[in-house]
Formats: sequence, C-alpha cells, structure tokens
Amino acid sequence: MPDSNFLSAPLWLIEVLHIVTLSLHLIAMNFLFGGIMVLLFGQFEDKWNNPFVQKYIKMLPNAMAMTVSFGVAPLLFVQLTYPRQIYSASIISGWYWLMIFVVVMIAYYFLYALSFNKQTPTKQKIYLSIAFACLLYVSFIYSSVFSLAEKPDLYKLLYAEGQGGTIINPEIGSYLFRWLHMLTGAMTVGGFCIAFVGRKNEKAFKVGKDFYLWGMVAAMATGFAYMMGLGPLMKPFMKSPAIWLVTISFVLSLGSLHFLFKKKFAIATTMLSVSFIAMIYTRHVLRKLSLVGFYDPSEMTVNAQWSPFVIFLIFFVLMVGTVWYMLKLYFGKQE
Amino acid sequence: MDYPFWDIDIGYGIIMAAIAVIHVFVSHFAIGGGLYLVIAETIARKNNDQLKLQFLEKLSKFFVLVSVVFGALTGVGIWFIIGLLNPAATEVLIHNYVWAWAGEWTFFVIEIIAALLYFYGWKTLSAKNHIIIGWIYFISAWMSLFIINGIVTYMLTPGDWITTGQFWDGYFNPTFWSSLWLRTGICIMLGGVYALFVASRLNADEFKKRIVRFNSLWAIGGLAIMIPTMLWYVSAIPKEIVDAALEANLTPIKAMNATYIYAALLAVLLIVFGFLIPKRYNIVVGIVAMLLALGWFGEYELMRESIRKPYVITQYMYGNGIDVANAEKYQEEGLYESMEFKTDDKAADLFRRACRSCHTIDGYKPLKPAFDGTDEAFITQIIMGTHVIRGNMPPFIGAEDEAQMVASHIYTQIDKRHISEIYNLEGVALGKKVYDVRCGKCHVFGGFNDKSESLLDLTEEDLGDILDMAGDFADEMPDFTGDEKERKALIDYIMSLNNKESN
Ligand code: HEC
Ligand code: HEC
Repeated sequence: MPDSNFLSAPLWLIEVLHIVTLSLHLIAMNFLFGGIMVLLFGQFEDKWNNPFVQKYIKMLPNAMAMTVSFGVAPLLFVQLTYPRQIYSASIISGWYWLMIFVVVMIAYYFLYALSFNKQTPTKQKIYLSIAFACLLYVSFIYSSVFSLAEKPDLYKLLYAEGQGGTIINPEIGSYLFRWLHMLTGAMTVGGFCIAFVGRKNEKAFKVGKDFYLWGMVAAMATGFAYMMGLGPLMKPFMKSPAIWLVTISFVLSLGSLHFLFKKKFAIATTMLSVSFIAMIYTRHVLRKLSLVGFYDPSEMTVNAQWSPFVIFLIFFVLMVGTVWYMLKLYFGKQE
Repeated sequence: MDYPFWDIDIGYGIIMAAIAVIHVFVSHFAIGGGLYLVIAETIARKNNDQLKLQFLEKLSKFFVLVSVVFGALTGVGIWFIIGLLNPAATEVLIHNYVWAWAGEWTFFVIEIIAALLYFYGWKTLSAKNHIIIGWIYFISAWMSLFIINGIVTYMLTPGDWITTGQFWDGYFNPTFWSSLWLRTGICIMLGGVYALFVASRLNADEFKKRIVRFNSLWAIGGLAIMIPTMLWYVSAIPKEIVDAALEANLTPIKAMNATYIYAALLAVLLIVFGFLIPKRYNIVVGIVAMLLALGWFGEYELMRESIRKPYVITQYMYGNGIDVANAEKYQEEGLYESMEFKTDDKAADLFRRACRSCHTIDGYKPLKPAFDGTDEAFITQIIMGTHVIRGNMPPFIGAEDEAQMVASHIYTQIDKRHISEIYNLEGVALGKKVYDVRCGKCHVFGGFNDKSESLLDLTEEDLGDILDMAGDFADEMPDFTGDEKERKALIDYIMSLNNKESN
C-alpha cells in the first residue's frame, strides 16, 4: 500500500512557495488590518466625511478578499511540511481555531456594509471598530496556535489537561511580543499604504507617514522584546543566518522610511518589500530552530511529482497573466 | 502517525455536513451562476434587452457577494474542519495531492478577482470587456471544480493508486469523469434555480413571464444533464463498494432514493411554475425550489460519504483515521502503543481513538441505547465484532485487552438496571427488545444477515441450545450473557414469530 509520508517536491521548493505566498497574504493583510488601524486611530480632518477615508474604506472588502485568497496557499504549504504540529496545536484550541472563519465572515459583513452605503459617522466608527476587533481576534489566535505548534511538549501536556478544544496556549509570555510585533508591523505597513494611496493628498500622506514612522519604532521595540524573550533559542538564533536577515531588514526599513518621506515610492516600496520578505524568512528560521530535536522536515522522503508540479507552475503563470490582463481591461480605455 | 482527538459533544458527521453541504451548494451555484450570467448577458446585449440587463446586474450583486464571501470562506472553513476532525486523512490528501490543491488555488484567485471586476464593471466596462471578464470568471470557476473533483472522487474510488501510489492513477480515477459532468449539471441547475429565485421577486408582468421561462429552461437543462450522469456515476463506482453498502448499510440507498425524489419534485415544480404559470412564480415557490435543490445536494453528499464506509479513503484509511496498512500490527501489538496523545485515562483514550469519531455515548449515533441493560462481556464481544455489525464499520483495531478496556469505559456510562425495567417491558415485547439489543445488531429478520432459517420453527429446547452455544457459531458472535428472564423472553419472542409464519 502506498506510503503517504513524503514530500512531493524538494523541500526548498516548497519553502520558497510557502514564503512567496505567505508574503502576498501578509501584504494584503497589512493593507487591510493596518489600514483599518490608521483609519481608526489616525487624525483625519472630519474623518467620517473625508473623501480620502471613504476611498480607502471602499477598498477594504477587496483587501479582505485578497487576504483570504492569498492565505489559502501558505496554509496549504505549512500543512504539507508541518502537519503534525499545525493540526495538533489547532485541535488543542479547536473551537477558537474554528471560530476564525466565522469571525472573518462577521468582519466581511461590516466592511461591505461600510463600503456599499455611506453610513452615519457613529455607525462608521462602530462598524470599523467591529471589523477591527474581529481581525484582532484572528491575529491573536493565529499567533497563539502557531506558537503552540512550535512546542510539541507543551501541546501534548495541554492535551492531557483537556480534549475539548477550549484551551488557549497558556504561555502568553512566549508569544505576546510575537503577536504585538505582528500588530505593530501591520500598523507600520498600513501607514505606508495610507501614505501611498494618499500620495496626492498632503494631509492623508502625512497621517500615513507618521504611522509609518511611529509604527516602525513600535515594531522594532516589540521585535526586540520578542527576540530577548527567546530564551534558549537565542543562542542558535544569533548564530543562524536569520540574524543577518534581521539586520538587513532593519537597515532596509530605515532606508524605505527615508525614501517614503521624499515620496520616492518605487524605491521605498522595493526596500520595504525586501525587508518584509526577510522578516518572513526569519520567522521561518525561528520555527525550525524551535523544533530542533522534535522534527525536521528535511528528513522527510522526497518523492517528487514533477508532472503535476509543472502543471501547477503553468497554472501559476497563467494566474499572474490572467489577473494582469483583467486589470488591464478594467483600468484600460473602454471603446 | 497520531494526533490529538477533538472531543466535542456535537457529532462529527453533523459539523461536517453543516459546513460542507452549504459550501458545495454555494460553490456549485457560483459556477453555474457564472455561466448563466455571461450567456444571458450576451443574448441580452445582442437584442439590446435593457430590462434583462437590469435584471442581470441586480442578480450579479448578490451573486458575487455570496460566491466571493460565502463560497470562499466556507471553503476555507472546510479546510479548518477537516484538519480538526480527521487530520490523518487530511494529511494523506495533502501529501499526495498538494499540487492539485495548489493548482486549484490559482484558479480560485482568478475567480475571486474576476467576480469582483465583473461586479464593479457593469457601469464602467465596455460590453465586450465585461463579457470577457464574465467568461474568465466562469472558466476559472469551472477549472477549480475540475481540479478538486479529482481529489474528492479519489477518496471514494482511488482506483489503481491503491497499488501504484501514482498521482495520476488516483486523480483520473474510475468516477472522475462521471462525477465531473454530474457536478457540471448540478452547477447549471443551481444557477437556474437561483436566477429563478431572483426573478420570483419581480412584478407579475410580461417581462417576468419571459425571464422565468428562460431561467426554468436553464434549471431543467441542468436536471437533464444530471439524470444520465448520475446513473453513469453510480455505475462507475466499483461493484464491491456498492454491494457492501447495499448489504449492510441502508443510509446510502435511502439517500440515493431521496435524490431521485427531490429531483422529480423539482422537475414538476419547474414545469408547472416555470412553464405553465410563470407569472405565479412567487417568492414562496422560489424558496421551495432552492430548498429542494439544497435537499438534493444534501442527500447526494450523504450518499457519497456513507457509501464509503467504513473508509474515509477507500481501502486505505478507516473512518477513524487508522490506516489499513497498520491495522494488523495494531491488533497484535496494541493500539495504545501507537498513540502519542494520552490522558490519564487509558480506556477513554482508546475509546476516542477507536469509536469516537463516529459515535458519542449519548448524543450523535449514541452507543448508550445500544448497550443499556447489557453486560461488560457482551460489550467486549460486540467491540471485537464491529466489522460484522450492520452499518459497515471498521474492525476494532487493537488488542483484545484493549477491547475490554473500551467496553468497561462504555459500561460505566450505561443504564445498569434490568432491560425489562429500563424499557418497562414484559413477555414477548421484552423478548423483542432483547433480540434487538443482543442479536439485532447483526441479524435482522427478513433483512441484514437474516437468520430466520436457523431460528424459526424450532422447539423451545433447540432455541435454548442455540443460545447456549451462541459464542461458538462465529468468532465475532457474542455468547448469550443475558439472565434467565431475558433468555425466556427472547425464546418466547422467537417462538411467537413461528406462530405468525405458520398461521
Ligand atoms: C467509521 C465510523 C465508525 C466507527 C469508527 C465506529 N462505528 Fe459503530 N457504527 C457506525 C455506523 C455508520 C453504524 C450504523 C448505525 C447507524 O446507521 O446509525 C454503527 C453502528 C454501531 C452499533 C450498532 C448500534 C445499534 O443501535 O445497534 C454499535 C454497537 C457500534 N456501532 C459500536 C461501535 C464501537 C464500540 C466502535 C469502536 C470500537 C465503533 N462502533 C466504531 C460507524 C462507526
Ligand atoms: C456481533 C455480531 C453478532 C451478534 C450480536 C449475533 N450474531 Fe449470530 N452470527 C454472527 C456471525 C458473524 C455468524 C456466522 C456467520 C454468518 O452466518 O453470518 C452468526 C451466526 C449465527 C447463527 C448460525 C447461523 C447458521 O447459518 O446456522 C445463528 C442461529 C445466530 N447467529 C443467531 C444469533 C442470535 C440468536 C443472536 C442473539 C442472541 C446473535 N446471533 C447475535 C454474528 C452475530
């Protein structure tokens, strides 16, 4: 009988795909989640009647659609390489995990309600806050479950305590800063997005720029705190290539800040993107380090399925081409 | 290979059905609706039919919302659910078919973006570009059906994969093509039924008459594709699977018959309200038609899932996530050895692993009523014989002492009064109950593994002998461990059937 315990492509290939698609997901998520934070907490003039704010609000449901769509692929790839860890941790928190998609649906509802009809200022504020709370929930559960997935001893212990899927990873200290780092990171990139979308609107640009600056400060602080809390992982982390990636992304972030202030968007975006991917790769390295001694995906048998893989690649290129073509049709001149 | 068990009071079957049926309903309708929209739009534009274009624009708003939000999120929901309910099976699917899932994802992305642009583009796009985007939407939606269809059918009929392990052998399996065309028919039918629902809210004028007829034609066309493809699909399922289901488990047969009834009712409704009195196609009729379509789909999925019993992946993995390849090993060395996730209650752990994904003690497919008033020895023997019980269950995959532990775990939770007291029965009625509990799981008079021939027309003494030797008839058949009272009642009951036959 066939053994299903294998990887259907070399590990590095799967990891590249995972990181690429996860980056797309997180960029869309930051546009959405970070954007909502800036809208809620930023100082816009006559906020709920401000045309720029309205314009951004109208983009939110689509950003949500993209966040969800781009999220499917990395979830697939992470389940491929870390099935035991992901399933075990999500079963421990089963109900909270399952509620994610219900909560996302609620957030969707309010974002559509905001973008289809212009609501009164109070309603706008309430609706947007509800969507924000929903996303806050989702982000927290993700941080909680994914950090639990990196602790096989802990999830086994927790299982012995309760099997009903109502346990939340109790070692909050170990992932609080990880979560806050994701939040502040989203806020930072949200600031960037606001500044970019509002590049022709001085006031909006300034709000976005300020969030970019202060968000980055906060993200660096929380990131540093998270790193300090790594404990026994600290040493191997410092010795891994990830520490260089952190350094590079630190420098690039500052660079992108500089160019955003000068409104040089192309170079600012490039620097931000590279630094973004470097951070995602760092996260990936950390997961590997914390699972040392428990599980190493590179020990899995590779049993490559090249023909389906090539077909997937063709489909992938087709997807990029088709989306580009449709956007061209949409934004191009209509005869 | 082992995972924690998510121990919840709601039956797994119910959770799965609730989300899966809604998802397949919405996602098939999203495909059929897409085809309906582009074709109807093309015709309407050609005839410069403004009324119809307005109708289509209105229809597409809700349509896009439903397919983009609801279809996509319930799809993600299914991912979450199967990972929670049957992680082992999900892992098998992902490891073997990750490139298919990934390919499906690329079309999913195109589909979502196309749906949004189509919707926003009614006012801003030229007719030609709008229709192009509509076609891209439909084609990508159908492609994602094409791809996922290979994985869904693989679970029921893995074909040569079971020996070769080759991607394509499992992918283009015996039910691939029939299922694809059947599902395409379903899509078209659902697209029509949905368009009818939107049309049901129109004022009863000439336009309504026209559009209701047009939409009914769609729905009927879909049904017309579904009938031959359904027969094709059923005949493509290997005979062993169908026979086993026919013999032991009424659920898939009942479900299949129900699909025919739903389809017939829907056809009648469409002919009457769609063609004969289209102006009367009001919202109530619209809702009824949607419910019939939903009912059809629910029964179809139930059939597909239940005919696969006892497996989740035919011949490869049992419904409780235990792989067939390891079954013998676990029966010799014990199941507990292989489990990584344990609590301090070994019996409960074994029960979860072996039975809990399909049964609860007291809720969904409950075991308590099946065992109330019996004894531990009986329960143990039933557990050792689950594979011969009516219902197509997996065998107990564990050692004998483990079966005893599971039995004692169940025993502590059942009603321990005498069976006559629990159900308040005496005489022949009590005997019938005793038969149902102690024999009826494996022998139904005039039904599953019927033993009338060996049991009827015997003397009281002969029947007594049979009960004394019960355990010797087969390894799986339990000894008769009831007391004198049960024994007498059971014999009386069987004798009473004699009388009926001879009178
Ligand atoms: C793959 C799913 C599955 C697993 C695992 C499973 N069962 Fe079943 N069981 C069924 C189905 C389906 C039926 C048929 C009952 C029905 O149709 O409601 C059934 C019927 C039964 C019945 C007869 C119920 C009655 O009312 O007479 C008993 C007893 C039973 N199972 C016990 C067990 C025990 C004990 C275990 C664990 C060792 C177990 N089952 C594991 C699916 C399963
Ligand atoms: C766990 C399942 C199971 C239960 C419960 C069970 N049996 Fe059986 N029985 C079997 C199996 C298996 C056989 C032998 C193979 C066959 O004929 O199906 C068998 C054989 C028999 C036979 C012999 C049939 C012959 O062909 O001569 C008789 C009589 C019989 N059972 C009666 C009973 C009665 C009476 C009860 C209740 C007290 C009972 N069985 C309970 C599984 C069961």
